[in-house]
Amino acid sequence: MKPFAYARPRALTDALRLAQAGATAMAGGTDLLGLMKDGIVSPERIVDLRDVEALRGWTRAKGKGIRIGALETLAELEASPELAKLLPIVGEALRPAATLQLRMMGTVGGNLLQENRCWYFRDEAYPCWLKGGIRCFAVDGDNRLHAVLGADVCVAVAPSDLAPALIACDATVTLASARGTRTLPLSDLYRVPQGRARRMHGIIPGELITEVRVPENALARRGAFEKAMERKTWSFALVSVAVSVKLIGGVARDARIVLGGVAAVPWRARAAEKLLESRALDEAACQAAADAALDAAEPLKDNGYKVPLARELVRRTLRRLA
Amino acid sequence: MSIRVVKTQSEFEGEISEEIALVQGKDLKAWGAAADLSIVGKRHPRIDGIARVTGRAMYTQDLYLPGMLHVRLLRSPYPRAQVQRIDASRALALPGVRAVLHRFNAPKAPFRGEDTIFREEVRFVGDEVAAVAADREETAAEAVRLIDVDYEVLPFVVDLEEAMDEGAPRIEANGNVSESGKYERGDVTRAFASANTVVEQTYRTSTQLHNSLETHGAVATWDGDELVVHESTQHVFGVRAGLQNALKIPFSSIRVICDYMGGGFGSKGGAGKYTIIAALFARQLGAPVRCILTRDEENVAAGNRSATVQKIRIAAARKRIVAIEHLSWSNSGQGKWVANPPGPTNGLYDIPNVRTRSYRVVTNMGFLASFRAPGYVEGTFALDQSIDELALRIGLDPLELRRKHAGRMTDPQTGKRYSLKRLAQCYDIGATEIGWQHRRPEGLRGSAPHRRRGYGMASQLWGGSGLPPAYATVHLNPDGTVVVRSGTQDIGTGTRTVLAQVVAEELGVTLKDVRVEIGDTNDQYAPISAGSLTVASLTPAVRLAAADARSQLLDVAAGLLEVRASELRVQGGSVISHGRRTPLGEILKQVDNYTVVGKGSRFPNPEDVSLKTFGAHFVQLEVDVRTGEVFVEHVVAVHDIGRVVNPLLAASQVEGGVIQGLGFVLSEERVVDRPTGRVVNGNLEGYKVPTVRDVPKITVRFIDDPDTKANNVGAKGLGEPPIIPLPAAVANAVANAIGVRVRTAPITRARVLEALALRR
Amino acid sequence: MAKAPDFVGPGALDVSFTVNGDGVRVHVPPHRTLLDTLRETLGLTGAKRVCDEGNCGACTVLVDGTPVYSCMTLAVACAGQVIETVEGLASNGELHPVQRAFIDHDAYQCGFCTPGQIMSCVALLRRDPSPSADDVMRAVSGNLCRCGAYPNIVNAALGAAKKRTKR
Repeated sequence: MKPFAYARPRALTDALRLAQAGATAMAGGTDLLGLMKDGIVSPERIVDLRDVEALRGWTRAKGKGIRIGALETLAELEASPELAKLLPIVGEALRPAATLQLRMMGTVGGNLLQENRCWYFRDEAYPCWLKGGIRCFAVDGDNRLHAVLGADVCVAVAPSDLAPALIACDATVTLASARGTRTLPLSDLYRVPQGRARRMHGIIPGELITEVRVPENALARRGAFEKAMERKTWSFALVSVAVSVKLIGGVARDARIVLGGVAAVPWRARAAEKLLESRALDEAACQAAADAALDAAEPLKDNGYKVPLARELVRRTLRRLA
Repeated sequence: MSIRVVKTQSEFEGEISEEIALVQGKDLKAWGAAADLSIVGKRHPRIDGIARVTGRAMYTQDLYLPGMLHVRLLRSPYPRAQVQRIDASRALALPGVRAVLHRFNAPKAPFRGEDTIFREEVRFVGDEVAAVAADREETAAEAVRLIDVDYEVLPFVVDLEEAMDEGAPRIEANGNVSESGKYERGDVTRAFASANTVVEQTYRTSTQLHNSLETHGAVATWDGDELVVHESTQHVFGVRAGLQNALKIPFSSIRVICDYMGGGFGSKGGAGKYTIIAALFARQLGAPVRCILTRDEENVAAGNRSATVQKIRIAAARKRIVAIEHLSWSNSGQGKWVANPPGPTNGLYDIPNVRTRSYRVVTNMGFLASFRAPGYVEGTFALDQSIDELALRIGLDPLELRRKHAGRMTDPQTGKRYSLKRLAQCYDIGATEIGWQHRRPEGLRGSAPHRRRGYGMASQLWGGSGLPPAYATVHLNPDGTVVVRSGTQDIGTGTRTVLAQVVAEELGVTLKDVRVEIGDTNDQYAPISAGSLTVASLTPAVRLAAADARSQLLDVAAGLLEVRASELRVQGGSVISHGRRTPLGEILKQVDNYTVVGKGSRFPNPEDVSLKTFGAHFVQLEVDVRTGEVFVEHVVAVHDIGRVVNPLLAASQVEGGVIQGLGFVLSEERVVDRPTGRVVNGNLEGYKVPTVRDVPKITVRFIDDPDTKANNVGAKGLGEPPIIPLPAAVANAVANAIGVRVRTAPITRARVLEALALRR
Repeated sequence: MAKAPDFVGPGALDVSFTVNGDGVRVHVPPHRTLLDTLRETLGLTGAKRVCDEGNCGACTVLVDGTPVYSCMTLAVACAGQVIETVEGLASNGELHPVQRAFIDHDAYQCGFCTPGQIMSCVALLRRDPSPSADDVMRAVSGNLCRCGAYPNIVNAALGAAKKRTKR
């Protein structure tokens, strides 16, 4: 890890001021320090956000949904019995994520912005396309963990378990910088890296995530989350599926199906969602939606298994809500 | 007592070798099944537990000496290349850098058959190119990046089956494939010709990485005439030999120490290049030097269990196995040897016609190293699956088929009678504990939709007889306390505790009065802590040393108490004479600081019997046929290892072996990028060792019948047996559950789903 | 921190925190991890460096009572915090109940992961004095043990809890 200068502001305004000129913001540090130790990034200045109290905690305002501060730790969210009542899918997504220590250290903002786990990206020796290099090494290398949907040049996948769950709940994210704030759907934060935009999210240098909001109407929907790993715990998802759906009189409305681990972004299966509209979540409908969700899959040499696996996880997650 | 020289044959990890043992006096009569033992055979927590739970146990990694320098290594980025030029000037200019060693300036230091540690032609990604010593580790790491090297990149091959291909780049003059093992009995050709049923299949196992939590490493100091090396090793004397060979200095100038060490599993068998480099820098710079590998380095340049491809042809006639042919190829990387996967096929089952071949395949990957039952884990994975496949074809219960070939009391390879064999009893116990009667050839419905349940089992054969030479001394202090000394090491099995139990038992003192000093070449020789050797090699020697100490003590006591020594005995830390108890301390303090020193040496194994360990694992599991996930529910591990010296520690060993076996068969796989030859998951994120959540219910059973022919304690080894049958048992249970066989380890979701898809 | 916060470093600076009950001040650069500071500067080598990137748990220590990976924690970020390591658990020569239970249940083999496992169990028992086996597994599922002492680790934590609740 290269030496760096360090600042630890208390006020958000100070944090934004310090972050504006090319400094890197750090929350829990569990991803950033790993990238730095691996030589993938070498910031000269780090703004440690841990003392910015304004970014902590989560609140519920009647009729206005839920607001989660970007510095809320994953463990706090997971352990909250109140949140478990309001938005159980969050706890469900966090429980199999990483480890207790990492959830104690890691924050919501950091989780949403974590870098992908592609082993070529994470190995300094590969000048991979996403790092500004020449080409994707995974395409003709070992790509068992890589994307089956919507890939362009880079076939790395979105690693977060929390992001699919929150996107399924129509979450928005607020970004602040010294120049002001903007709010956008969380799903719009993520990009398939393309052309000159060799990044998996669209945050601008100097910007911080300050909060995530889940709208009131999403709280009325029921959610479920499933994750497949290479061992029983402490693994990034091979495939994860988050579903949120309103059930009125036994039929589905407003379904959201979001997959992790299959594409560069948390993958909204819109065709599958549409297919479920006004249908009961019976076996046939769930299977049809699952098939539709993976309809466009284009597996690589080593990851064909992800297609049936993802299909089954979608079907299973939907059936749990029936 | 005069010393006698005894020549003897010994088995180490399936290989037979000639050894010379020096022994004194007569061996003791073995403790039989009826022996009245109060300490041996009982559950005793480890005597070094406090050091381990307080953080005070000093591992090599924990040694920080004043003025110590740190080494980082520059490793080849190419799988094969000529090192043409090295310019270290930029590295040397970095403040804090003390020296750089590489092939153009390092002194000659012979290492494993080569005359240098920095090769002209580097042969795998991770091969050592240069070393930097600096006053901080991060400075050394930064300096490594500043070394400029010109490489001429050469053709290479990294994959086992690609390397076997005729068209592959030849990386050794005689070709990439060479025969390393060969065995035949009976007439295989005729037996196959006359058989009713023949099953022929190919099995594959992946490269498994040891991932000992403490990486390989050494800390060296050189004070002018003595080189002291602390190393995380399974063999301090092996490290000493390696240092002597490399540096050409006398044994009297080398001391190797290993107090606590953080796991070995076979790969820490002697000096590594890091050891020699630390010593060279220590000599050159006159300061303590620390060279500890990083996790990534550990996983590319510190050994691995070879990947294998194995072809088995197995034949039945009249519902018995009549012949088996087992051909195996192992990716030895840049290793100079290879394990013998057909070992179990040669010796486990009583099959009349057997032909096996083992081939070493060289590739441009890191070298293999012994890994807990090298060859036998991979070989049993293939062998015991082929038996299940044959059983299914001929309509027999796989356990029944095994029973037909497991009962004979003579070793099919040597014709010698086994000293002890309780394999059939292992089958009985395992079958009962797992509920084998519930097994159906077509599998069972599982506990949830889309889940299938299956049962599987496999057998275990391993040596474990122990061997000479092994020596120990027992020191009886004037206060009646005892110190046992031997140059062995505790790799996590509980060596100190087990030795203390045997000494306390023989000497008649309490366990808390015994301390065990190990891991120092200034003590007497003990063998490598590997191959399930330690208990069977060393406990007979310490028992003799304790007996010698007792006999001397009684002579002293007889003189002081003015009775005949034959009228005295030692019990509970006291000398008993005609019903009167005198504590040892009271006797010995009369002779002013006299230390009684008893010596013991390991006698040879009997040559008229075959000494083996046996066992069987039974597995109950479920498989989700839609997601490919395997849920292991219950493992029953039954082992026949002679006397169990400490059931508490022995059970821990078995659980550990089972869990490592689960990793091998379900999740562990080194992944190599073929175009570049780099290991892409040489870390604990991408390489999946089991977590606490991956552990099923494990039932451990021992036959615990002392093998009185084996040695005076009646104990055999337990280190490797519990990993050997587990992978095959899991594979058989998976096949039973889903009706289709996954013949490649690890049995991942991807492979399960692929196998199921192919059936449809 | 100063009132008008600004960057410090990259050179070394003074950082004060409490380690095992004692106030300490170290002089470290911002990029130095808590793990390296404990081991190299403070001589507390119980926490181990195994992966150095948050993949194993052998460096687990408690910061303000919370189990964290000290290899992924900057020392400078611990200013003013209370750090506990395995070396600080025993008091007046008496082992902590979790340490005692690890010995009694043989919850280790090589012992290299043991300090981290123990710290995770200690933190659990403070949060929840009578955990279930599942709670224990959740608490130590971020601590790898290559020897496979897991069954005994779970038994040790449950055993320590039982002994404590009895008292």
